[in-house]
Amino acid sequence: MLEEDIALSTLKAAESGETLLLAEVRLEERSTRQLAVKMGQVNSSSSTQDAGMNVRIVLPTGIGFASANVISKAIGKNLVEKALKQAKSARRKTLINLSAEPSVQTNWEVRQRKPLADQSSEDKVELIGRIDRAVMKTKVKVQGRYYELKDYEIGSYFANSEGTRIRSFLPRVTIESSNMVTSKGESEQSLRQWGASGGWEKVEEWGLEEALPAEVRMLKKQIDQGRKVKPGVLDLVCGPEVAGIAAHESCGHPMEADRIIGREMSQAGRSFVTPDMIGRRIGSRYATVIDDPLIPGSYGYYPYDQEGVKARPRYLYKEGLINEFLQNRETGSRMGVRSNGSSRSEFYLREPIVRMANTFVAPGDFEDDEMIGSIKEGVLMHSFTEWNIDDKRYNQKYVSREAYFIKDGELGCPARRCVLEITTPGFWGAIDAVSKKIEFSAAECGKGDPMQSMAVFTGGPMVRLRSVKLK
Amino acid sequence: MNALRDQAHELVEIARAAGADDAICEVIESGVQQVRFSNNEIDAVNCWNDSHAVLFVALGKRTLVSDLQDLSRRRQMAKELVSKAAKAPEIKGYGGIGAGKFKYSPKKADKRIAQLRGASKFVHDAISGAESAGANNVGGTMYVRHHRTGIASSGGAFATDELASMDLSVRAFSQPEASGHTVCCASKLGDMKARETGERAGHLSVKAKNPILGEEGRFDLVVEPLFMGSLMHYTQNMLSAMWVEIGKSMYAKRLGKPAASKAITLVDDPITDSISRRAFDHEGVPTKRNVLIKSGVLKTFMHNTSTAKRFKTKSTSNAGPLVPTLFTLMAQPIAFHPVVEKGDWSREEIISDTKDGLYLNNTWYTRFQSYAAGDFSTIPRDAILRIKDGEIVGAVKNIRISDNLLNFWKSIDALSKSTEEVYWWDEASPPSTLPMLRARSMNVTRSS
Repeated sequence: MLEEDIALSTLKAAESGETLLLAEVRLEERSTRQLAVKMGQVNSSSSTQDAGMNVRIVLPTGIGFASANVISKAIGKNLVEKALKQAKSARRKTLINLSAEPSVQTNWEVRQRKPLADQSSEDKVELIGRIDRAVMKTKVKVQGRYYELKDYEIGSYFANSEGTRIRSFLPRVTIESSNMVTSKGESEQSLRQWGASGGWEKVEEWGLEEALPAEVRMLKKQIDQGRKVKPGVLDLVCGPEVAGIAAHESCGHPMEADRIIGREMSQAGRSFVTPDMIGRRIGSRYATVIDDPLIPGSYGYYPYDQEGVKARPRYLYKEGLINEFLQNRETGSRMGVRSNGSSRSEFYLREPIVRMANTFVAPGDFEDDEMIGSIKEGVLMHSFTEWNIDDKRYNQKYVSREAYFIKDGELGCPARRCVLEITTPGFWGAIDAVSKKIEFSAAECGKGDPMQSMAVFTGGPMVRLRSVKLK
Repeated sequence: MNALRDQAHELVEIARAAGADDAICEVIESGVQQVRFSNNEIDAVNCWNDSHAVLFVALGKRTLVSDLQDLSRRRQMAKELVSKAAKAPEIKGYGGIGAGKFKYSPKKADKRIAQLRGASKFVHDAISGAESAGANNVGGTMYVRHHRTGIASSGGAFATDELASMDLSVRAFSQPEASGHTVCCASKLGDMKARETGERAGHLSVKAKNPILGEEGRFDLVVEPLFMGSLMHYTQNMLSAMWVEIGKSMYAKRLGKPAASKAITLVDDPITDSISRRAFDHEGVPTKRNVLIKSGVLKTFMHNTSTAKRFKTKSTSNAGPLVPTLFTLMAQPIAFHPVVEKGDWSREEIISDTKDGLYLNNTWYTRFQSYAAGDFSTIPRDAILRIKDGEIVGAVKNIRISDNLLNFWKSIDALSKSTEEVYWWDEASPPSTLPMLRARSMNVTRSS
């Protein structure tokens, strides 16, 4: 299906008669299976095979993108005509340029020990059934139990007018859970996601038959034994999940170059960061945040981005300084730097835009128990439930799902729905210690118009914040 | 368009012949043009042309759905889907599909929109309108959409529908932290007021100039329809029977009980002219106007055939997309076009009657610490204006509404007599028609 000659003939059509900055062609096929289980019973299942292609044409005065859910030479030619017409209609006065990048010819794939396509519906239903039964065995009252399992393989062939030719194969699998626990007339919720690039072996590694029963027991304990935090200034240890969401929301997003130059201004918003802030202090010297697409098996894994640029780790905040923005070829050129391989699209019907991959706080040199042991009075916010951040990525809020009081270096009773509402420099500036052990969570990041849901990891070690206001 | 319906019917027949007890097929042909702009210039022009078929089959209680993208292979794929469904898991709560002698009332699409090629002119008008009102940086999105659908089912669905629409979103800045956001939704070409939409955004951006740090405390909130459109996204989800079933609804156990102030009547109205008008739901059942909340009392959840059976009631013809889509649960009943019925206040009267409040243009990032209780926060964006003694006295920034959504709905005491259709990105979605309204004494917080 992904025939090279269709891509090349489409490219040839794009190159004839016009002075282009760039033409790109992507052919893609995807096989997706999805299963939902509600209160122990299968609620719905779907299976879809999809194939299509897109053409992106970059002129100095505009970018045109056209796509279709059919792959053929004739369709390719038609897409070229449309994309070209659209690029011309933009009539930009601020001329577009692209960073110079080497052409690449390669094949890459993520290997599967247990191919996703080989797993039967029965296997999947059985797995979710075992998880659900394990949750029920806890005797915790879990009034809402809902699970969605999705797995898919994406085959792709990408070619551009500069000679890049990349063939790839990427399998991914994810499980989302929603559990609502009640006790003593009150309730707490847990919405979680696991995800990986790879085969069914990844699902087996997650250990959900232990993780989710532990989760509902924890929620019951939060209800039964939890106390509210008396609002005031305390020390705070954030667990990896909280460090990860902060890395994603208040470092990754504001460091997206397209957001910084205003390209997302009417949707995901702008950024408190401006192009001249490279080198400016945003946090303490312990605040280093990395976005790395190359973590093997990660949910956000890719070795080449969707403009064919080789991926590499990006040090966004480095020792408390604003260090490097996430760039594609267009934004890189505008800021006088190279692309750092941050261009991604959800699938062939969407234009590639600047995105994160796996964003995390860099590990430090503390043991986890040292982080807690060093606090006289404070809170450990292990995980979060409600969270949000403003569209300039400056004011954020995290409400704990699991938290505990710390007194004289010892963990105490649960601190229920502890609230941290803090500015971005306030968060990163308050860090004075980072632990060694790093953990990741899978997430779907939303950005773009039409909205593109992107597979990412968020993560980090434990981070310790001194003297922050908690509610 | 009858060809789409006939294709759907053919696939239903193929599925039935292959052994399916129930089958629904929706054949969709769509053309979408998009112009994205920022910094007063067009960034990208995109277009999508798509023909595909969504086929749902059930063998007893074993069901499977697929999005058939390659229509040249549709017959073969339909047979394959039935074979796969035989091995699909059994769904004990499956309640069948909508069945009956259906009568449809499709409306005509505006051909001028359907035939429109190139939307850049509207974008230039919007930018120019915003600039003329005082904005210096304008961004947004313009969509022109044309969808044609044919549906058939073994339950008797056999219909077509067509919708052509335009939606424009304009965000204008007069300073880096002073912005206004407006939208325009049109199912008739003449209703697309691009320049005026830009002007309104520009005016708001000027009013939002020189914002000071907002105060924490309790304030009366005067909110624009766009702000409410964002809260409606979550409200309508929680009125879906599926969300009630999985414990993610503040409306559970509230049927027949107060769920909003007496001033509120909330309807899902797919019949009215709008950019989300539909003649049938995704099971092919004719859509109808459903009163969800009447004078503050919760009247019904939204149902498809299966949830209705489990709740021992009738389908409200709110069956959602049969294939999974972003931000909805699989097979979730959904609202097509929520409408809050208008009140009798002018917009000016609501402001002049407010002693200590905030005027909110828009919001985003609404998240819940408890769906079951409705405890949430949301972050106002764009113009946040301080109201004191009935007058707007300046702009503020960096605030958050941290309260309870049920409490918000119960605290509404004034609704404007003018309403506006709003739709923006995936925040103010689905498209809805809403008045400006006032919620009393809401909790406002901010970062330390």
